[in-house]
Amino acid sequence: MIEARGLKKVYGDKTAVDGINFTVQPGKVTGFLGPNGAGKSTTMRMIMGLDRPTAGDVTVNGKHYAQHKAPLHQVGALLDAKAFHTSRSAYNHLRAMAATHGIPKSRVDEVIDMTGLSAVAKKKAGGFSLGMGQRLGIANALLGDPQTLILDEPVNGLDPEGVLWVRNLARYLAREGKTVFISSHLMSEMSQTADHLIVIGRGRIIADTSVEELIESQSRKRTRVRTAETTRLAGLLAGDGVKVAQDEPETLEVSGLDPHDIARLALDHRVLVYELTPLNSSLEEAYFQLTRDEVEYHSHLSPHQAPQPAGNIPAPEATTGGTQS
Amino acid sequence: MSATTSARHAAGTPATNSPSPLASAAGNHGVNLLRVLNSEFLKFRTLMSTKLLVVLTLVAIVGVGWLSALVRWNIIDSMVKGLGRNGGPGGQKLTAEQAVQSFPPGQGFDLYNLPNAGLNIGILVLGSLAVLFIASEYATGMIRSTMNAAPGRISTFVAKAIVLVLISYVLSIIGGLITFALSQPMFEGLGLKLNWGTDGVLYSLLTGGLYVSGVALIGLSLGTLLKNSAGGITVLVGIMFVLPFAANFLQFAPGEFWKYVPQYLPSEAAGRFLAIGRAEGILDPAMGGLIFLGYVILFLVPALIAIKKRDV
Repeated sequence: MIEARGLKKVYGDKTAVDGINFTVQPGKVTGFLGPNGAGKSTTMRMIMGLDRPTAGDVTVNGKHYAQHKAPLHQVGALLDAKAFHTSRSAYNHLRAMAATHGIPKSRVDEVIDMTGLSAVAKKKAGGFSLGMGQRLGIANALLGDPQTLILDEPVNGLDPEGVLWVRNLARYLAREGKTVFISSHLMSEMSQTADHLIVIGRGRIIADTSVEELIESQSRKRTRVRTAETTRLAGLLAGDGVKVAQDEPETLEVSGLDPHDIARLALDHRVLVYELTPLNSSLEEAYFQLTRDEVEYHSHLSPHQAPQPAGNIPAPEATTGGTQS
Repeated sequence: MSATTSARHAAGTPATNSPSPLASAAGNHGVNLLRVLNSEFLKFRTLMSTKLLVVLTLVAIVGVGWLSALVRWNIIDSMVKGLGRNGGPGGQKLTAEQAVQSFPPGQGFDLYNLPNAGLNIGILVLGSLAVLFIASEYATGMIRSTMNAAPGRISTFVAKAIVLVLISYVLSIIGGLITFALSQPMFEGLGLKLNWGTDGVLYSLLTGGLYVSGVALIGLSLGTLLKNSAGGITVLVGIMFVLPFAANFLQFAPGEFWKYVPQYLPSEAAGRFLAIGRAEGILDPAMGGLIFLGYVILFLVPALIAIKKRDV
């Protein structure tokens, strides 16, 4: 369990994290999502006690990270794919880290095997590719068999098998009742891994919700209508809460009316319609919508309150995990 | 590639293996200074560069020490033979004892400090090694892993300090022993009685190790404060070698006062610490040692505060 209260970090005149509150629950994979520079890494560094918060505080499993007697057994973290000495072998790096907690060599061999590093474990870590570096970082995080796992952009540079492995690992650990907190700027990745999402933009929490709720709240159900008489149909459809857009010839995108109503209207006025396709927002689109609107969202919110994105957007029936992913 | 194959193997693990592939062989020990010390020793000896440096340092201390002993031997030898400055005849013949005593004490010609003949090279290399020991962690990003494993931070600094002090002390002592063992027969050839029982020999050997250890601590502090290897080594060389050189020019300043200033520099105060005997207007050895210790603390304290408070 990770709890942040009024967590704030200011570098010079730049506010990286602006008084955020959130809780990461055990037993779930929590995605930490935001564009580059949104404050994800800074938040994670503060959780791990590497950076000192300017204000507020954050605890892991009830204590500040540094106050734990055996921190590696409490929290394993991958914050930086290159957090090792370039001239030391992966095996020796892990052994040195393990030594701080009296973790036996057998465990070092175990995490090397688990992360698929066996073949390169005795080589200098400086020669590792980004993906291999990530694997070493993950091995490092797993060393103490921690209750809480924090991974900053773990799939960066990983091959598809590696991505799948991280996904399975995260889900597996969450099922075991552990707290798993993974950051990413890729919604498509998070949609397949996370149960819960915390979305951050410009240092503030934009959304703190389950994956389903986020899609539901952010998706605006649209229908693609193809007809020769676009102008006439657009005029007929126009009304309260209905938006009609035309991007291509003979094609309208209608939101605010369901396909059944559109068909009925067209039939009543004898307009020939040759396509009616419901369009679902993917999580990716929902995310774009969220981060695009972040400024607007915050202009009328107090800084210590997590905004409820569901508030001003009509929430039609639930849509599922995205058409593209 | 076999790494990917094992990745595939691992990819299946969480889902298929029961009950738990992570079931802990990790133990449940906490972190403490002894374990962090163990970790730092492991780090020290698992870098090829440090191992190489240790061997080279020993070679350098002995090599430079022996050379500088040879120079001393040569000077005394030529004085005994009564050779003039240019190697020609005409100089006054002296006994070896007289030749040795013709140099004022504390000028580096005392024979009892032969074990420390190569000490300066040890200071240079081990001091730099100390800077690197922490600055390279900042440079590579290793420091974040280190601070995650031991988030108290102070324990890491203390452990690194202990490793460096031990390595520096042991290397200096071994280097001093070999240097003395090599050069002693040369001086005996001149009829100078010199052995481990000679006044000041053991003292200078043991204090020489302390001096190098102190410089290593200054190096570690500089590496911590500057987080940068090149910067740390430059400042260290500046303090230990350039400063005393520059201070020599103070002798040309008018007034008696300036002549007594340079001896308070870290290198000069430590140099007094390694010497025996007292002289008018010069620091006592014990006072020299205390002043040098003061300098070491002066660097250690800000470094400790920085490592504790600063963002990593």
